[in-house]
This record gives sequence, C-alpha cells and structure tokens, in this order.
Amino acid sequence: MTNLEHIRTAVNNVQFNRFRFWLQIFFFALLVYGGYLGIELGKHLPTFACGYNKELRGGMCFLMPLQHWMEWPWEKLFSAAALTILYGFAIFFLWFIALNRGWCGFACPVGTIQDWITSLRRWTGIRYSRYSEGQYKGLGIIKWVLLALMFLIPLGIGGGWFTHDLKSPFCMICPGRTVVPLFGLDVSQWSIDFSSRTNMIMTSLGLLVTGLFFIGAFVKKRFFCFYCPMGALHYLFSKAALLRLNKEGAKCTRCGDCYRVCDLQIKEIADDIQNKNIMTDDCIMCLKCVAACPEPGALKATFAGIPIFEATEAGFIKRMNKGRTDDK
Amino acid sequence: MTNETSKVIPIQPVSYSRSRQAGESQDVLDHIIDDFQDNPESMQYFYDLFRSVYCHGDEIKHEGMLVGTTCIQAPEELIYAFGATPMRLCNGSYHYDQKGAEFMPSKSCSLVKATLGMLNSDNVIPKIGKPDMIVNPTTCDQKKKSSSMMGDMGYKVYDLEFPNVKESEASRQYWQRSVRQFATELRQLTGRKLTKKGLQAAFNKTGRAQAAFRKLHSYRLLSPSIILGKDIFLVTNAYFFDDITRWTEKVEALNVELEARKQAGFKAVQSKAPRVLFTGSPPIFPNLKLPLLIEEAGGVVVADESCSANRMLYDMTAVDEWMVNDMVDSLADKYLKPCTCPIFTKNEDRKRRLLDLVKSFDADGVVYQAFSGCQVYEMEYRSVAEAFNQAGIPMLYVETDYSPDDKGQLSTRIEAFLESMKNRKKQKQRALG
Repeated sequence: MTNLEHIRTAVNNVQFNRFRFWLQIFFFALLVYGGYLGIELGKHLPTFACGYNKELRGGMCFLMPLQHWMEWPWEKLFSAAALTILYGFAIFFLWFIALNRGWCGFACPVGTIQDWITSLRRWTGIRYSRYSEGQYKGLGIIKWVLLALMFLIPLGIGGGWFTHDLKSPFCMICPGRTVVPLFGLDVSQWSIDFSSRTNMIMTSLGLLVTGLFFIGAFVKKRFFCFYCPMGALHYLFSKAALLRLNKEGAKCTRCGDCYRVCDLQIKEIADDIQNKNIMTDDCIMCLKCVAACPEPGALKATFAGIPIFEATEAGFIKRMNKGRTDDK
Repeated sequence: MTNETSKVIPIQPVSYSRSRQAGESQDVLDHIIDDFQDNPESMQYFYDLFRSVYCHGDEIKHEGMLVGTTCIQAPEELIYAFGATPMRLCNGSYHYDQKGAEFMPSKSCSLVKATLGMLNSDNVIPKIGKPDMIVNPTTCDQKKKSSSMMGDMGYKVYDLEFPNVKESEASRQYWQRSVRQFATELRQLTGRKLTKKGLQAAFNKTGRAQAAFRKLHSYRLLSPSIILGKDIFLVTNAYFFDDITRWTEKVEALNVELEARKQAGFKAVQSKAPRVLFTGSPPIFPNLKLPLLIEEAGGVVVADESCSANRMLYDMTAVDEWMVNDMVDSLADKYLKPCTCPIFTKNEDRKRRLLDLVKSFDADGVVYQAFSGCQVYEMEYRSVAEAFNQAGIPMLYVETDYSPDDKGQLSTRIEAFLESMKNRKKQKQRALG
C-alpha cells in the first residue's frame, strides 16, 4: 500500500462520532471564544457565530449584516451602494462553498449545543422522538417561510411599511441570540424589552423560541436545524459547493442504516438510488450516514471531486462494534 | 402400529444412524467431502458437525429456552437477549418432505413441507428437543398457513406479523411495533427482562458472527476461487443450529486458513471454471443438490442471494444510540429494509442486488433455483430474467424440489449451461486479446 492508501484507510476507519465531537469543540471555541485570541473571521460567516456574543466571538453570522442591508431605504438599496451587499455576499459565498452544509454539521455553535443537549438526554436514558411522515412534510416548509420573511420584513422596513423596531426580525427569534452569549456569561438577551409594543412582542417571541429550543433539542435530535433559514439559504447554493455528499445507487442495498442514524430523518438518503448528489434541503452534512454505511463506496464525502471520507466495511464493523469478542 | 405380520415377526426398531433418513444425509455428506480434492482443513469441524447431527442423530445442546424460527425474519438478537437460544427450523430433508406432504397441497414448497414433516415426526432431526416456542414470521402464504398446523401439532406458535411492502414508512413502523410486541412475548415466555446489557451482548454475538461471515464472503471475490460454494453453504447451514460463539470461532479459523491460501496463490478450481451466482430458493442440507451439481460439473458458486446463506448473515444493524429502544428499532430495520425476499410487492432491490453481486464477484452466469410450488420465486423469475437479459448475463432457471429423481436431467442442463459460459468466456477473451 502506498502512503496515500494508508491515510485513506485510516480516515475511513475513524471512530467518526468521537472525531466529530472534538472537531465541533474546536469550531465552537473558535467561533464563540475566538475573540479572546484576537481571531476575527469577519461578518460573513455562513453559520450561527452569533453577533450578540459581542467581544468574544471569532466571527459573525452572515444573517445579521444581511438583514441590516435589506433594511436600507430602497433608494440606497437600488443604488451603487448595493455593491457593498454584493461584496458581502461574495465573501459569504466563498466561505460557504468550502464546507457546504458541513458548516451546520460541524461548525455551527447552535448545532453543537443541540448535540450536547442530545448527549445529556442520552445520559438520562430517555429515547428520542421522531416526526410522523405527515408532520415531517408539513413542518419542513417552515424554514423556507422563515427565509422568505427574513428578506421581506426588512425590505418592508426599508420601504417604510414596517416600524424600525422590527429590525433584524430573525435575530430576534433566533435561539442563537439568547443561547450563544450565555457562554460568555452574558444574560442580557434574556429579557423582554418593554420600550414598544413591537419590541415587547419580538423579545417575548425570542424567549418563547428559546424555551422551545431547549425542550425541542432535548426530545428531538437537531430540533432547530429542521427550521433553520440559514440552512435553507445554504441549500440554494449547495450545488456550487466543494464539499459534497455523494451516493452510488448501484452499491446501495437500501438497508436503511443511514436513515436510522440520520438526525434529520431524511428518508431519501436510504431510498433514493438515482441521484448521485444526495443532499436534501434538510441535510446538515454531519456525515453520520457515511460512517454508518456498511456498503463500500455507496456513500462518500468528496471535496472538489476527491473522495475524503468513504463508507467501508471495515470502518463500519469497527464503528458499530461488530467484531467485538464478549469477555465474560 | 400392530398388524398380523408384526405379531409373527417382531420388527426390531432400527437405530437412527441406520435409517434411510440418515442415509440421505450420509450420501450427500460423503459426496461433499470425498468427491472434491483439497477441502480446507478447517472445514473438518463442519463435516464432523453434520455427520454427528444428521447422520448419527446426536443431540444438539442449547442454553436457556429454545425458540424455533421458521424464517430469517425472526430477530435472533432478541431471542439471545432473553437468555434463550434461537434455532432455525427450515428443513432440507427429502424424507421429511414426503412426511409433510399430507399437510399441504400436492404442488407446494418442499421446504415448508419438510419443516412440517420434521416437526410432526417423533424423532426430530436435527435433535434439538421440543422448542418452547416457535416464532413464525408471516411471510409467504405457505409459511403463514403452517402456523395453525404447527399449533395443531402441539407447539406454541407465535405469529410475528411481517409487512408485504417494505418501502413505505407505514410498514416500517408497523414492523417496528411488531418486533417490540415480539419482545413482550419473549418476556412472558422467559420471565426475564430485556436489558441494555443483555441486548448489547446479543448484538455482540451476532455482530461478531456477521463480521466473520463478511470476511469469509470477501475471500470469494478472488478469482480463481480459493473455496468452493458447497463448503460455504455447509458453513452457513450450520448457523441454523450450531452454538453461535463456537460457529463464529470456527469460521474465523477458516478465514485464517483462507488468508494463507490467498497468500500462497492457491487455486481451488481451474482458472477457466465458470463462476456462478446462485439465487432463489435456499439450499438447505441435505438438499445441496443444485450447488453440488454445479461444482461437480466444473463450475464454482462464488456468491449467492439466498436466505440460507448470504441473505441470512450479510446485512448488519446500525445503532445510533445504544439504548434498548433504539437497538430494538434498529433490529427491526435490519430485518426489513435490506431484505430481498420475493414475498414483497416489488423486487427492485433484489434485481439490483443480483446485478451488483454479478459485477463485484465477476460471475459468468446465474443459476436461479425455484422450488416447485414456491410461487413467489416462480413469479419473480420473469422480471429477474429480463434484468439479466438486458445486462447480457446468462441465467439458468431451474424448477426443482427435494426429490433426487431429476438429478440426471438437471446435471445435463447444468453441464450444457456451464459449457456455454465457458464458450462465452473464450469468445470474450478472444475479442479482448
């Protein structure tokens, strides 16, 4: 075997969940505490590096500047000043295509916090819940509605139809705003702003969503990701991304092992044998499916067309404790 | 039975090993061992095992309660988790096939008839003792209807409800409930609780067995073959009744020997021997008629898609959260989703699996066995033949049963089929070279 093959085998045999756990911690530290080390990755990150986590953050979530821009008065929005927006968007796009929705599965602090809550649940021995097929289809629309509103409401402010108190409407209801600053011991977002009716409603909604977030994440794996408008925005550009999730239908036995471990309950991952690009709008690219696939090469993650993590029999057997001898 | 003759000449009870039934197994076993050269040394365990169980009628010991299963769809991990031992009852003996004929219409599946015949006889071979329960997944019609017949024979039968459709989420959930119900039933039977530890230990048992099987399976990828299909069928048939841990150790030993064979560049067959994929009704000892005919005629069975071998051991569970609930659900999924049994409405997955096996095992052709009266396999013949036809892969469809009568005729057909494959191979090589 060549060195490259050795590396490939080692990667494909990796204890994936453990690897992902530590990678998530790395990204969490980078995005939530990076400011301590003077790290500043800019304001166009395609992940919930929340801007309300003020001094500590190592970068900022793109949705915050995006909503600000959309709030510009229309004259400004449709002038040369819009180049700023295009520039900002280009930076966002460049960040995004590197990892695709791997930003969700590996980097997003809110996603990581949900995984920690899941670990807590597992520790208590309570089982997870799932949506029924009907619920899944119905609720799946919410992220698209949120994405649309995230554009329409700020545009309405710029057009003078809505009050300025409605600014950054998504941030106001995003659990990232309340939860992420907690890691900097900042509880200032945990309050209701009584200064106006709109503020009161929005901050109350925010706290309500935060409550739902904690309960939801406890009973449902990656509860919020299913509704996340950032995820929906990602999906619009995912075809251009370098990191891909590919499936070779002919090698798939449709055993459903990937579907079993999928946090987002994506049935297509097991059943679809036609599409090579298997990513759906709900996929967070956590790659757990690849780690749980026993058929060599049926599922793989590729970067710019080069396979970087591939399903193998040996990897599966190791990860699922199949070869274990029972010591009496 | 006492009649006039026996009053005059008392009939001495014949010991089992001298009975015609034992003779049937003896013949096949001799055939498997003596008619081939270079049998792997590690196969000796399996040869001895079958001789002891089928030819001498020795007792098979087991731990805890005994749960008979009539199909691979019964989740054996659950049975182990309750401290009981599963035993697959599907039988391959012509003797029992004839005995069981009284239960079923004349044109019915030999396997079902033989299983009923076995259960209805006084001296059940393999000698497993009376099962404390028989779990009968509701798969094909003949197995379904066997349920009440087994009940009438005095067995405690549990019908494990199995869906006819496997693609829908509704059937998946129905089956998950069914499996949980089965766990409740086992709890009542054994008086034990289903614990995480017990289930995990059961998963480890079957997981290790499956890992060993997959390894064995991977050695069959080699061309020319280093092990014959008749031995593989014997190994997987032993899984029906052998102690699982011992079975696994013996397969692991066989794997070590095969690795050595691989390193040494050993050939179990000639390089030009046609490589055959076997599909359809399951060969179960002593009915290894068809695989044996293929290999006697100079072919080699390199892979199979049948529930007495590959389908029984190949697919593995994936668990996300190692808790009782998720483990039971993952078991349910494993026993439904990858299954390519013809009882389902659609057979796309079976066709895809077959084509993939042909490709990855570099098979030259396919032999499709359908037991006369196994309607579902007979009905799928058409679409499978079409899929192979389109892919340009030759297939021989054989309708047969447990009777040895058609051996001569089958042997002629198989020889002709293998010959045509050899010619195709030659032509292909000529075209390439």
